[in-house]
Amino acid sequence: MTAGRVVSAPAARVRAARPAVHRAPGRWAVLAALVVLAVVMLFPFLIVALNAFKSPAEYSSGNPLSLPKGLYLQGVVDFWNRVDFGEKLWNSFLISASVAVAAVVLSILNAYALGIGRVRGRLWVLVVFLVGNTLPQEALAYPLYYLSKQVGLYDSKLSVILIFTVIQAAFGTYLLSSVLGRFPREILEAAALDGAGRWRALWGIVVPISRPTLSVLLIFFFIWTWNEFFLPLIFLISNDNQTVPVAIGVLQGEKMMDATMSSASALLGIVPAVAFFLIFQRTLTRGVTVGAVK
Amino acid sequence: MFRTSRTAALAALAAAALALSACGGSSDSGSSGGGSQGKTLTLWHYEGADSAMGKAWAEAVKEFEASHPGVKVKFEAKGFEQIQKTAGMVLNSDQAPDVMEYNKGNATAGLLSKQGLLTDLSEQAAKRGWDKLLSPSLQTTAKYDQRGIMGSGKWYGVPNYGEYVMVYYNKDAFKKQGIEVPTTFDEFTAALDTFVKAGITPIATAGAEYPAQQIFYQLALTKAARPWVDSFQLYKGKVDFHGPELTYAAQTFADWVKKGYIAKDSAGLKAEDMGVSFIGGKFPIMISGSWWYGRFQSEIKDFEWGSFLFPGAQLTPGSSGNIWVVPEKAKNKDLAYDFIDITMKKEVQNLLGNSGGVPVAADPSAIQDAKSKELIENFNKLTTSDGLAFYPDWPAPGYYDVLVSGVQELINGTKQPAQVLDEIAQPYNDNLADIGN
Amino acid sequence: MAPIEARPPRPRGRGGYWPYLIPSALLFLAVIVVPFLMNVATSFTRWSGVGTPTWIGLDNYTKLLRDERFWTSFEHNVALIVAMAVVPTMAGLVLAAALFDYIGRRFGARTASALRAAYYLPQVLPVAIAGVVWGWMLHPSYGAVNEIFGLKVNWLGDPDYALATVMAVMVWFQLGYPVVIFMAGLQRADPALHEAAEIDGASWWRRFWHVTIPQIRPEIYVVLLTCTIAALKVFGPIFVLTRGGPGNATMVPSYFSYLNFFEKVNVGYGSAIATVLALIIVVVTFLFLRVQEREP
Repeated sequence: MTAGRVVSAPAARVRAARPAVHRAPGRWAVLAALVVLAVVMLFPFLIVALNAFKSPAEYSSGNPLSLPKGLYLQGVVDFWNRVDFGEKLWNSFLISASVAVAAVVLSILNAYALGIGRVRGRLWVLVVFLVGNTLPQEALAYPLYYLSKQVGLYDSKLSVILIFTVIQAAFGTYLLSSVLGRFPREILEAAALDGAGRWRALWGIVVPISRPTLSVLLIFFFIWTWNEFFLPLIFLISNDNQTVPVAIGVLQGEKMMDATMSSASALLGIVPAVAFFLIFQRTLTRGVTVGAVK
Repeated sequence: MFRTSRTAALAALAAAALALSACGGSSDSGSSGGGSQGKTLTLWHYEGADSAMGKAWAEAVKEFEASHPGVKVKFEAKGFEQIQKTAGMVLNSDQAPDVMEYNKGNATAGLLSKQGLLTDLSEQAAKRGWDKLLSPSLQTTAKYDQRGIMGSGKWYGVPNYGEYVMVYYNKDAFKKQGIEVPTTFDEFTAALDTFVKAGITPIATAGAEYPAQQIFYQLALTKAARPWVDSFQLYKGKVDFHGPELTYAAQTFADWVKKGYIAKDSAGLKAEDMGVSFIGGKFPIMISGSWWYGRFQSEIKDFEWGSFLFPGAQLTPGSSGNIWVVPEKAKNKDLAYDFIDITMKKEVQNLLGNSGGVPVAADPSAIQDAKSKELIENFNKLTTSDGLAFYPDWPAPGYYDVLVSGVQELINGTKQPAQVLDEIAQPYNDNLADIGN
Repeated sequence: MAPIEARPPRPRGRGGYWPYLIPSALLFLAVIVVPFLMNVATSFTRWSGVGTPTWIGLDNYTKLLRDERFWTSFEHNVALIVAMAVVPTMAGLVLAAALFDYIGRRFGARTASALRAAYYLPQVLPVAIAGVVWGWMLHPSYGAVNEIFGLKVNWLGDPDYALATVMAVMVWFQLGYPVVIFMAGLQRADPALHEAAEIDGASWWRRFWHVTIPQIRPEIYVVLLTCTIAALKVFGPIFVLTRGGPGNATMVPSYFSYLNFFEKVNVGYGSAIATVLALIIVVVTFLFLRVQEREP
């Protein structure tokens, strides 16, 4: 059996060729272990859900881990109306989606120059970009406040979109240029022989092949931006501009917190982010592999 | 194969989102306008809608709208943390509201007044009689001097309610052990001993947040008099951290843990844990502030409860509540003054009192609920005897965390009382040096 | 990444690759570079965030050098790098490989995706809520953790356990991130290599070491570096879990910049702390990238 034949063999045949009963009970043990881990990871969510549907009195008189006696939904309804939660969801979506797409585009452009173009001094360029990720956000708060006031963007969604586009792109640039640094040269050379310029090579070859990684970036950027609390707190002052985490922050009072409503609103608040993850994680598994393009 | 439809759809979505957010920016702040007609009063506060203040101030908004036809009130509920972190930035911008609730004290309202971000309310206070309505100890947190230190100078805020620390107790649990409400410190410790003997840890507390340090401060206050408080809080004299007051507090606190009055495992708990454990009947005593009162009234169903002032102490942690401030950049200051005035009126104050809050200018006879009466009578006892001693974390910015970690070490027994006192003395003295005292 | 000298041929075009960097460069200038320089300038002043700052030269830095709590809190960062970077990377590698070419093949891609989603979910929960929930679960008297294991440990309140407990929570928090990145990296990798090794009868562990890991090396570097950065500037989770306590048992350096910016409103000193912290992180980043760059 030569290596060449193996490589060209379809995956299905390779699998069929393997002894099928190979460690049959073992595979269930592996699955069981992974499922147990998943349960551990999800356990805190169960606790949040338990308390989301308790009335405040029930929560206070029992303990947070007891089961709710019935479904109490008034808290969620009240909170929804009090902070106009629908509007907050929309704001969060608008900001997160804009940031995710814009930051992915910027990351692609940067990584193309750094990873494939290997421009001179790219290590330094990368370090500078990464500073965007390394700076403690507190350090940016005051300067960005004064700058955004200067250009009239203080208390606007656009300011938050711009800031997070840059911060997320810093990460995306690094991840993508590391990945593209190992991009198979033969493919690009073949494209160059076919007369494709750099611009076309980028969108016609590099982007399609990197799609699994791009999907990861898109998902991460969306979810990270969705959960950002600190800078939105500072830059989104009017209630009409606020995002979900800032609105949930209303429930943490000076001396007390509203635990049941916080749980309920947290569940409401993560639903869109989770949905986004579940929808887009399909693209993670459907990615085009390097081998398939060849 | 490479599917482009999703990518294209996303790109379109992003473009639309960018366009929307660009034009939907911050354009609706056009609240200025000629005359009283068509004006908007922008009001911010961060009290829960169900809290006593939330209810009373909602009523004040209604009255304001009734007495100011044509003026719209734009109320925005804010998070405590957002105001706490961004007040300076907001008030220094055109987004400043006309009137807002803000934290009292040197590090908050004092700082903003020093920075020139707050309007001087002295004239209004005299004209509208706020200075008569508020007792002197409540006025302490309303006035700030040029250094931003409370207690003297101009009026920059108007307190609308009060708060103080008390001993909450489970009447059923007391009855079961045959304990009467203690009136002296010795009776109090005797009661605590009785519980310990019965195998019950008596005092619910929480070391990771404010409750434990307030007990610590309350203990110091049992040995203190007003001049000591003036030194500690208003820098009118030197504070000896190894003097009788604080030494007694640290030593007694450590003893209380040793004797089992305070649970050894409470160092990592939060205020919410403490409150829930008292409501759940797990501890018979909780020493904390009046801010729990309304919640206890509505959530404690399984036992009778009551409250008393800390036995044997002339002074108690407490102060005015948060204050109304009018930003220097507010667009409708006159409307803001009118609104503050309405919140000081009897009707609003009475509602605050009947909802489980501590009013500062209510009509005592208008408070019907027996529990609320008890709460307000105790507060009035304190204000008339000049018994409010503020809170231990006030004297220096960032002192809250210093005290949290100090008291945690007392609970865990990881440091000796004297070491803890050294630890909390240093940031206090650093701050004194900072402000040039 | 290949060494700089050994440049392979690549598509030719006008003007090199620099133009691709222009849009980001402009935005970075406005959002990162200028603000950072302003932050550095502020660090030489005494300022409360509003009004005119007073120039005080290097005072903030000399004060910081003497601030023992700041420097000793870096020790906790080492523990957090273990909890947030080292452990999640290693566990993430094993999990991603197991999900990708064991579970994915034997139980279907759906099972693998569902498990991956479960591991990732903690990243979605807002930190403030996560702090509250873990507080409930670790409560000394009724907490689920004590109940399940029949213990009576004061997880967050006892200085002997607090740091280890925070570390465990951070692993929970962080694990999904490497799993997702590594699984995506495995998609990109060439399946032929793996199959070849399988045909040759290499065991799962051998294939893991000799095929899987080399293929997703770029991702491993990225995860290690970004998690290390995150661990160096971690603040939110610590704040909601322990507030740095009990005592100073879980104190972290970024707490100091937060404290000075927002509790003490001492923006000058806060800026000095942020500058030092940023410089330390930049040095770590640079060294790390140099190592990555030298990789064959």
